[in-house]
Amino acid sequence: MASGNVLAVFVPQNGEPPASNYATLDARNAIMVADFDAAADEAIVFRGYLPGHYSGGGLTVKLYWMATSAVAGACRWQSAIERDDGALDHDADGFATANSAGTTTSGTSGNTNTTTITHASGAEMDSLAANEPFRLKINRDADGTSGTDDMAGDAELLMVAILET
Amino acid sequence: MPVLPDNQRAAVSADFQRDKSDVREGFAALTKADIRAAVNALDDYFDTNASVINLAIPQPARGALTAQQKLDLILRVLRRRVRGD
Repeated sequence: MASGNVLAVFVPQNGEPPASNYATLDARNAIMVADFDAAADEAIVFRGYLPGHYSGGGLTVKLYWMATSAVAGACRWQSAIERDDGALDHDADGFATANSAGTTTSGTSGNTNTTTITHASGAEMDSLAANEPFRLKINRDADGTSGTDDMAGDAELLMVAILET
Repeated sequence: MPVLPDNQRAAVSADFQRDKSDVREGFAALTKADIRAAVNALDDYFDTNASVINLAIPQPARGALTAQQKLDLILRVLRRRVRGD
């Protein structure tokens, strides 16, 4: 079964900041995290390569994160994919429209929360195909454009995993 | 002095959360809306009670200091109480 196959895993150290409004690297218990502000949208971008064993089922992006100090409220996340099929001009971003999901944070700020965002095969993943490079942008929708984000304080991203849906 | 405009109240709330996040200080079970409500209420309180706060300053300071100087003095007293600096 292709569904559930792990296609890529990223940690904050792999991230590249966008030109503005970027999440900032931090450490928590010597674990590197990416801090996302509570008041303004911030993002981090990861570069990857979709493996050849991807069989076209769409992508599931799983975000593992924790609250810096909050023990209540929901955090809203967005993910967007940019395909590099050789026709992409890297002088401008070409991300497909982001998909989003929200999760209420744990009652313990150091516990890991998981937010799952799915991208159907095709336009939702910028028509990315197996054996192609891509970029993945992770954004905290702090101003709640796509849904409720009422968690106070920073959100700290621990890891991103991309699985075949 | 009028109440802060909405964008400046939002900035106060954002800066507070950002500064507390930097030192990993918790907010109990408060949400962003709860913190913003506190900012709004405090700003309204200072506006409503400006004359009462002014009367707390004895003469001749009350008559001699400008409004901005009085606010600066209030800020310094509060900061010393809270942060010790």
